[in-house]
Amino acid sequence: MIDNHDSTDRKRTPGTTRRTFIKQTVGFTFAIGAGGYISVFGAQSQDSAPAGSKAEPLQANIWVTINPDDTIVIKFAGTEMGQGSMTHVPMMLAEHLKADWDKVQVDIVKVNDPAFGNPIFQNMLYTAGSTHVMIYGVKMRVAGTQARKLLKLAVAKHWDVDFSELSTEPGLVIHTASGRRISYGDIVAQVDIPHEIPEVDESDFIPETEFRYIGKQVMRRDVPAKTNGTALYGMDVQVPNMAYASILRAPVEDEKPLQVNDSLAKQVNGVTDIVVLPYGVAVVGSTVEATQKGKRILEVTWSETSVFRGISSATSIAEYSSSARDLNTDAVAWSSLGDAKGTLAQASEIVDALYTTEPAYHAQMEPMSATASVSDDGKSAEIWVGTQTQSLTIIGSAEALETDPANITLHPLTMGGGFGRRSRLRQHYVDDALFVSRELKRPIKVIWSREDDLKSGYFRTAVAQYMRGAFDEDGKLIAVQHRVAAPAILPTMNKHRWAVNKPKDVITMLGSENRTYDIPNHLAEHILQQRCCRVIAFRGVGTGYTKFAMECFIDELAESKKIDPLEFRLELCHNNPRMSTLLKTVAEMADWDTKRDAGIGLGLALSGYHKSLSAGVVELSVEPDSGRINVLKFWAVGDPGYVVAPRNTEAQLMGNIIFGLSSTLMERIQIENGVVQQSNFHDYPIMRMNEVPAIETRVLSTDNASSGVGELGMAMVAPAISNAIASLTGKRIRHQPMTPDIVSAALRG
Amino acid sequence: MELKFHIVSRTNTTHEIMISFIVNGTNVKVDAEPDAPLLWVLREHLKLTGTKFGCGMGQCGACMVHIEGKTGYSCLTPVSAVAGKSVTTIEGLAPDSQHPLQKAWVELEVPQCGYCQSGQIMRAAELLNKNKHPSREEVIKHMSTNLCRCGTYPTIIKAIQLAAREA
Repeated sequence: MIDNHDSTDRKRTPGTTRRTFIKQTVGFTFAIGAGGYISVFGAQSQDSAPAGSKAEPLQANIWVTINPDDTIVIKFAGTEMGQGSMTHVPMMLAEHLKADWDKVQVDIVKVNDPAFGNPIFQNMLYTAGSTHVMIYGVKMRVAGTQARKLLKLAVAKHWDVDFSELSTEPGLVIHTASGRRISYGDIVAQVDIPHEIPEVDESDFIPETEFRYIGKQVMRRDVPAKTNGTALYGMDVQVPNMAYASILRAPVEDEKPLQVNDSLAKQVNGVTDIVVLPYGVAVVGSTVEATQKGKRILEVTWSETSVFRGISSATSIAEYSSSARDLNTDAVAWSSLGDAKGTLAQASEIVDALYTTEPAYHAQMEPMSATASVSDDGKSAEIWVGTQTQSLTIIGSAEALETDPANITLHPLTMGGGFGRRSRLRQHYVDDALFVSRELKRPIKVIWSREDDLKSGYFRTAVAQYMRGAFDEDGKLIAVQHRVAAPAILPTMNKHRWAVNKPKDVITMLGSENRTYDIPNHLAEHILQQRCCRVIAFRGVGTGYTKFAMECFIDELAESKKIDPLEFRLELCHNNPRMSTLLKTVAEMADWDTKRDAGIGLGLALSGYHKSLSAGVVELSVEPDSGRINVLKFWAVGDPGYVVAPRNTEAQLMGNIIFGLSSTLMERIQIENGVVQQSNFHDYPIMRMNEVPAIETRVLSTDNASSGVGELGMAMVAPAISNAIASLTGKRIRHQPMTPDIVSAALRG
Repeated sequence: MELKFHIVSRTNTTHEIMISFIVNGTNVKVDAEPDAPLLWVLREHLKLTGTKFGCGMGQCGACMVHIEGKTGYSCLTPVSAVAGKSVTTIEGLAPDSQHPLQKAWVELEVPQCGYCQSGQIMRAAELLNKNKHPSREEVIKHMSTNLCRCGTYPTIIKAIQLAAREA
């Protein structure tokens, strides 16, 4: 669906003169082809302009529009959930356009237009996996440079000077020789713009030395509104004639309401309707509190036939563990270098270890919510929701209503935390709002309680990982096999993407590939398991547990040869200079070589997420009787390539360490007989301010392409802690989380 | 945000129960059940959506407002409990939202997703009202009622200390 233009919005585009206007109709857009030439498609008609008409804005390319008054609109193809991309990515275009950032307005793309899509995600608009800066940064540089070149070409012709004699300063094109200057807005108002979007190459790009925004402190645009109550989250939407809905959901996945007694619920003041859905019962009313009250006094008999009734997370993890250990199971290779199996088969000695991981909850601060207004014929809808993906929400909603995606109008709103939770094709809170609105023919705002968010949540999966390694006669590590027994997550999130990528599941397996160490034979394989709960991407996706296994195992391998873990890693990173630098830096920050007092241990781990790298050291003590871990300090260093936003990068690294500490020390989701045992923050506690240890972070900006920071450092926290405990006590805790009960049992055993 | 008008909201009731109180300096009358949580009255009856819903059980602090100058969990406070009382929300904390805390929050770029920050700021404002120069330990002890999943805690501490210096 292509809809960059309102049909009433008359914009100038390359190819028009001041006196000729191309009338825009829906379906008319530009794409920047490989050669930078305009592809124009869709209906268009030409009107001749009346004499003396006003200047129109210039849409220089699909990303940027320059207005005659010098203001600029830049499109943002992602959504904001606290990671900062909504400021930093458009800012990169402004940098290369040499625009005045204060004159820029950011406009979120609200449609499923592949021209704005991310090629990693089949050209969908999808903000996940820390990919936005990495992928769109390149597009922003090209688009900004093209627009700047277009303006210069126009001025060169207009002033009849050579293109090479023109330069730009923020918002201005300048001809030094004659002293003339003209603002971008005046160019748009007064100058003929050439037909073609110009090709650009390296020679056209602004050098880093001229950057005014990239790499500097630029305030995030969303910050002021988030300090004064005006930022609009999904749950904040107010739509005329809106009613509220609270949904009582089946306690076990896949179960249905068989009998509903709503007589008491209907009597609650403010309750107006009860809608029975295939998976639950919606209480609808004129106030939130009435619907919540009504929901509490519904009496529902559920079907109790779900296969999930027989499933518990503890039993599943035991099954995953058996499968992981059983070398004869089927497995799908995720990444393979050399011949790990063969080398291990011939090794005289093998080091092996099994690691287990329990499910975990995103615990984003804003529970799920969506508002939908479905047309009377049930075939189109307007939706307001905080989502990580404009595309999947549009497609998924169309699926839910069995209608065409072109009939969905989406208002993507900022999110009170995403962390992967809002990234699914079918988002059940959106489905809730659509189904109830369709039934009642009015706008419906659905608000999930925190209990709903947990009991019907989608989680970081449970996993078992079996690691095997071998050395050669010279003591060099020559083979590692990394077996990941876990469900496939991607097919449950987005069947379309799975169809393209199967049987490789990036959500489950990410991080099990080895791009860090020089190990000549390495195999990472996926042993497919049945899921024990609803599963979805979690902050860090697979790295959250694949790096746990690998980084604990590296320490175990080092220990088997009585080598210091830092030294062991440096040797294995001898041809990985970026990682070597990080290891040395964090070791220096943490005084790695200084022996600590009795009872205090250090642990080291590293992690890579796409091209962003990090290393960390933890200093801790542990109480053996209670199993309580006291983290005294955590040092973290990150290298995300050329740093786009220094302050935000530090904040993301810090946030990731706290997230990792909380997750490792405090958090688990337990499923018993298909029912999630946790319900709110009293039984799923997350880290409070008074529980945060001293954390020291450092960010290294390096001469590499800029890559993401939203998941930087998360995955190294758990293995650093396990490694520290092992160094201190001699006992390895090969489990996530390391709650006191787990730790004390491991230290006793 | 200043409420300049008398607010009346209606629910689907057979009888009217009007509860009067003061929000951000303005008299309001709402038609709500006496046990309606203040949180939803503020957010959905009065459309002051700056106060957030996080847990509904007083565990996260996202819903914090000032009731007669002290922080309270609006999710746990029935609206009848504030009858005749003065309530302050994030929107009314300071004219033009230029409270020293809000200025410090912006200067240090505290919010990430931002959802917890209304509650954080209201809680911090109570601290600085009572204690103009809190120690780091006093800040941490006071603020630990408020959860932040994005991990902005260290910057919150710095922002409170900055606001205390600048106030």
